[in-house]
Parts: sequence; C-alpha cells; structure tokens
Amino acid sequence: MDFDYSEFQSILLNSTKNFLEKEAKGLFREIENTEEGYSPQLWEKIAELGWLGVLFPAEYGGIDGSFVDMVLLIEEMGKALFPGPFIPTMISGLAILKYGQASQKEEILPRMIEGKLILSPCLVEPDHTLDESIIEEKVSAGNGDYILSGTRLFAPYAHVSDRLIYSADTVQGKAVFLVDTKSPGVSCKPLDSIGGDKACEVDFNAVEVPERSVLGETGKGEDIIARMNEWGALAESAYIVGMLEQVLKMSVEYAKEREQFGKKIGSFQAIQHQCADMAMDIDQAKSLTREAAWKLSENLPSTKEISMAKAWASDAARRVCLMGVKIHGGTGVSEEHDMQLYFRKAKASELAHGDGDRHREIVIRQLGL
Amino acid sequence: MDFRFSPEEEKFKEEVRTFFEREAECASAAKEEWDSGLGYGPNCWSILQKIGGKGWLCPTWPKKYGGLALPYMYRYIIMEQMQYYLNIYSTVGAGMAGPVILSHGSEAQKKEFLLPIARGEIEFALGYTEPQAGSDLAALMIRAEDKGDHFLINGSKLFNTRAHYAQYHWLGARTEMTEQKYKGISLFIVDLKTPGITISPIWTVGKTRTNEVFYDNVKVPKGALVGQKNRGFYYILEALDYERISTVSGIERDFVEILEYVKKTGKGKDPVIRQKIANLAVEIESARLLALRVAWMLNNEKIPNYEAGMLKLLVSETEQNLVNTSMQIFGPYGQIRKGSKWAQLNGKYERNYRDSLESLVTRGTSEIMRNVIAVRGLGLPRG
Repeated sequence: MDFDYSEFQSILLNSTKNFLEKEAKGLFREIENTEEGYSPQLWEKIAELGWLGVLFPAEYGGIDGSFVDMVLLIEEMGKALFPGPFIPTMISGLAILKYGQASQKEEILPRMIEGKLILSPCLVEPDHTLDESIIEEKVSAGNGDYILSGTRLFAPYAHVSDRLIYSADTVQGKAVFLVDTKSPGVSCKPLDSIGGDKACEVDFNAVEVPERSVLGETGKGEDIIARMNEWGALAESAYIVGMLEQVLKMSVEYAKEREQFGKKIGSFQAIQHQCADMAMDIDQAKSLTREAAWKLSENLPSTKEISMAKAWASDAARRVCLMGVKIHGGTGVSEEHDMQLYFRKAKASELAHGDGDRHREIVIRQLGL
Repeated sequence: MDFRFSPEEEKFKEEVRTFFEREAECASAAKEEWDSGLGYGPNCWSILQKIGGKGWLCPTWPKKYGGLALPYMYRYIIMEQMQYYLNIYSTVGAGMAGPVILSHGSEAQKKEFLLPIARGEIEFALGYTEPQAGSDLAALMIRAEDKGDHFLINGSKLFNTRAHYAQYHWLGARTEMTEQKYKGISLFIVDLKTPGITISPIWTVGKTRTNEVFYDNVKVPKGALVGQKNRGFYYILEALDYERISTVSGIERDFVEILEYVKKTGKGKDPVIRQKIANLAVEIESARLLALRVAWMLNNEKIPNYEAGMLKLLVSETEQNLVNTSMQIFGPYGQIRKGSKWAQLNGKYERNYRDSLESLVTRGTSEIMRNVIAVRGLGLPRG
C-alpha cells in the first residue's frame, strides 16, 4: 500500500509545475480565441520535457513511464488549464502502439514523441436526427484500398493535426484507419464550443485510403475504439481533477480575502461547508482516477475502475465548478476572472469520452447487470 | 503508488477471514444480537473474547498489554473483517479509552485495564454528551469535586450508548469552573456499578438503546482520574480522531446483497435503477479508497488531521445513499417491517433506513466534520 509519489514522479511533478508556472499563466484565455487553439512553441517545449513520450517505449524515444505518471502529469495540466492536443495525441499514439504494425509505429511514434506530429481521433458519428445535411456515409473498397466518405464530430484539434484516427463500418465490420490529414477530400473545421478546445467537424469526401492504413485488423475496430475511449476517459478524469483542485484553491483564497459584513466570508459556515464538500468531492475523484491509472499500469482489469473515475469526475466537474462560481460571487460570473474559464472547460471534459450517465452504464454492466 | 496490501498483509487478511468462517455460528449470532440494537449479547462477548484472545482486538499494542505489536494496517485489516462479519469493527475500550490509557494513564490503570480491554473482557461507555453539551462538548457540566481522598460526582449524561452493558464509564466531568470551559474538564474511569449511578434507557428511531446516566453523590476513587486534572478535553480530542476511523466493508456487503436482489427480481433492466446502483457502487469505492488512505497514513505515522473527519463524513453519507437507494428499489414494499411476508430482505433495510440516521450525528455530526475539513484541512478562518 503506498499513496506517496515515487522519486521519478516527484521529479516529473516538480519540473512540470515549474514549467506550467512559467509558461501557462493566462495561456488558455489568450489562446482560445486563436485559430489553432494551442501554442506550437510550447508544444515543442513539452516535447523537449519528455511529456509526449511518458507512455511510450525507449525504442521510439519515450521513457517507459506508467499510466500513473501520465495521470499525475495531466492533473498538473488541468490545474493550469493548459490547452492543446495533448490528450487526443496521446490516446491516438497509444492506439498505434498497441494495435499498429511495425511500419506504422516506426513511421509515427518517434516523430510524435519529438513533437512533430499531432494526432486526433475521429470516432464520433453524427446523430442523424439532428442534421440532414451530413455527408452520406460510404465505405467502398476496391483492390484492397478504401474510399471513405462521412462526417465525424468533436474530433479534438483535428484542424491542426497531421494524422487522424478515423473509424468506419466496412463489410467485415468496424475498422479504424490511420489517415493523413492532408489527404485530398479531408476537411476539418473547428467548432465554436463552450470549452474553447477546438472540437472539430471532420468531413471525408471520397477520401482514398490505402489498405495499409488500417490500424489493427479490419473488423476488430470496436476493441480499438473502446480502448481509446477508456484511455481518453482516464486522461480527461485526471485533467478534471487538476482543474477542480485549482478551483478549490482559488475559492479558498478568495474566501480568505473577501470581506463582507465586517468578516472574511471564509469564516461563514455556509462558505466553509461548501468548500469542505468541494474538497471531499475532489478527493473522491482523485482517488478513483489514480486507482484506475494504477490498475492500467499493472495490466490488471481496469474497465470498471476507469468508468468509475470518469463517472464521478464528470459530475464532480460541474458540482465543484458551480460551487466555485457561487463562492466568487459577482467575480465568479465575470469574464475577466479565471473562474469562468474552468467552469466552461469543465463541461467540455465532462462530455469527452462519455459523461457520467454513460460511464455509470458501463459500471453497471461490469457489475453483471 | 500501490493500492494493494503487501503479501504478508494479504496472508493475514486470509487468516482473519478463515477465523470468521470457522466461527460462523458464533459470529452470525453476535451480528444478530448487535443488529437488534440492544448492545452486546452473550455471543458478542464470546466472539470479542475469541478475537481478543488472538491479540486481534488491540493488535498494535505491546504484547505485554495483550497486543501483537503489529503495524496499524493489521488493525485496519481486522476492523474490515470484523465490520463485515459482525457489524462491530471495534470496541470503545480498544478504539478510544485504551489508547488514551496507554498514552496518559497511570501504571496502576494500565495494569488494571489494558489487558482486559485487549482480551475483550471489558467495555467502556463514552460519557461525554449532556443535554446542553453535544457538538459543544466543552459545555459539559457534570461536576467532579475534589474531596481530597476521592472525587464526588453529581450531574447527568445523555445519549451515553453502551452504559447499560459496559463495565466502565469513560467520563468527562468538570473539575474546575474556568473561563475557557474546555480548560476545566477531566477524564475519569468510573465503575458503572458504583452506588449513586442510575441508568435509564432511551430508544432511538432505529430501536437502538442508548441511555441517560444520572450521578447522585457518586464517590469515585482518586485513582479513577486519567492523566492530569483539567487536561481531559485534550485527551478527549485525541480519542475523537481515533473514533472517526472506520471501514466500508459492511456497506460493501450490503451493496452486494442489494445487487443480488436486483438481479434476482429482474429489476436490473430499469435504466433508473441501473444509474442509481452504479452511482452507489462508485461512491462506495471512493469511500473505501479514503479509508485505505487514512489507514496508510496511520500506518506511516502521518496524522490524518482532517482526513479522518472527511472519512467519517463520507462513510455516513455513503451509508445514506445505500439505505435510500435500497428503499427506492423496493418501492412501497420497502416500508414494510420485518415479520410480514411483504417485507423485503427480512425488513433489514427498513430498519437500517431508520437506524443509519444515528451515524449522521454521533462521533461528530456531519456539519462538525465539514467545519474540521474547512478549518483544519483548508485553513479557512474560524467563524
């Protein structure tokens, strides 16, 4: 039993905190109004710091770290609201690591870890009841190669990506394709969303995709998608935990300063109890997320734990941010203050890779119902 | 980071489980006695003494006092299994009075009480609460006058659970009228058979027995004072932090029962029930992890300054989720008491729904726990 950090983790956390302290102040606010939505300069820097290689083997330039290391890193990113395609790139890279052929791994992973390739998963098909103008889904295969047409939504940072992980139904079943974003017929349009995190609409218009672009086996795509959503859910849970810790910190600091009725509002029981509830909520999300990461690191079954973490973190995200807004009073709703940034991004992370209801359904199935 | 017990700890856990499986008859009879709300029956005493006989009641204590000098994690492992099989995870003697006697008691007191506590032969009833002193414990007024060769105690206590079957009262009494009330309190060990003590039952909504205890000119020997006179409140605070440690193994056990019920009755198809049960499962797991973390802190000599309070709060709220969800699953049948053919799962959850209210207010109310988290944990200023 050990709830402490390893020496490596302490070092990683230290350098991460220092870097984010220096580089991430005000970054989210500044960058969400830009076209890219992230900083390519900082992307290079985090590559130098080794962040992009934490989960990958040394042979590709990684450092053979664990999911626990990754989760601790992402928690810090969440605290700083560090924007960018880190999570989508990581889970896409992992899919290639676990399911790709040697040639795919060699082609993508070293450059991804160096910071030269950004990847985005295009796994969410649109709800046809909501829009008739969607490109008709078509998958045709001739002499081994595919021609893909369709729309995918909420692909994070697809518009700045180099490779897309695109899922589609073939005659043999679900397949996952590794596609060059610059392929003719591909268009990515960032959607203006609450979290400012560049979820894109990706349109495939008769895109020619060679057979060797298939990731894993044709027909076995469901497994890959499920795993990617698991890794994504875990990563987003960690980002939420970080965000919420920062929200609590801000709220407590505010409550210690702000005076009304001749007293610091932090001395009022209502405020104290709200902060206590936030602290407990965050502790729960954190423990569940770290346990899930640990199980994954140990190659133990982790589907239930990952969904437990995402289920709790998703709902805690709204609960804690809402409380944070309330504690901040008028400043909590003003654009100028950072509280609203966390509130908005929390919703995006809540929705990414399955919200609370979706993951509770996974939990109940894991329990045998 | 590692969420597992060590191989030695895992082996010990198996040993404890095996013990309870072997003693299944006595254990389940003890659990039934305890669940009746009447306190320790003969089977409770019997199983506690079997556990104590193995040194498992106070495993962290020195061997000469009936312990095994084991690290705290072993105590946690035993508590988990005791809670699971008996719904009794500790005695007051082992969990609260004993540690204070060990740290602050006289040699005579250590000699008289520690071994019997560790062996499960004696129990203590907490004597803190009074009509005007609940969360504001320092407002206690029962008077212990220093008469030179003895103390004379007058006053009354309220909600002193266990007083009707414990041998001793772990009594907080006022030895001095001080401006800051907490500075005039002392701790005493009083034989509950001492003349002048009257114990009168009070019943809770869960049909659990607690008591009013009246002290009418009760003469208590000098040797009954624990530690220093007027330092009692500090010892009480120390003991309270220990009291807030618990496990969720009982809640886990009940959750499994509810899950089986849902499977058997085909209610698992209802999407609302699916969501509620999943949420409960997640909350229980989060509480289990906090219990583990607090145990780990104690095992590594870290002080769970506010974490113990957070654990108490989380466990009691999780328990509410369990009883509430169960009742919602049973629908109108949930209200039927044990004894009727329409009662679900023998009316266990109907009773739990009532009885579980108690843990929201004992050992520190949920609101006090939130104060502790806010002030000790987050550094917010006192109101």
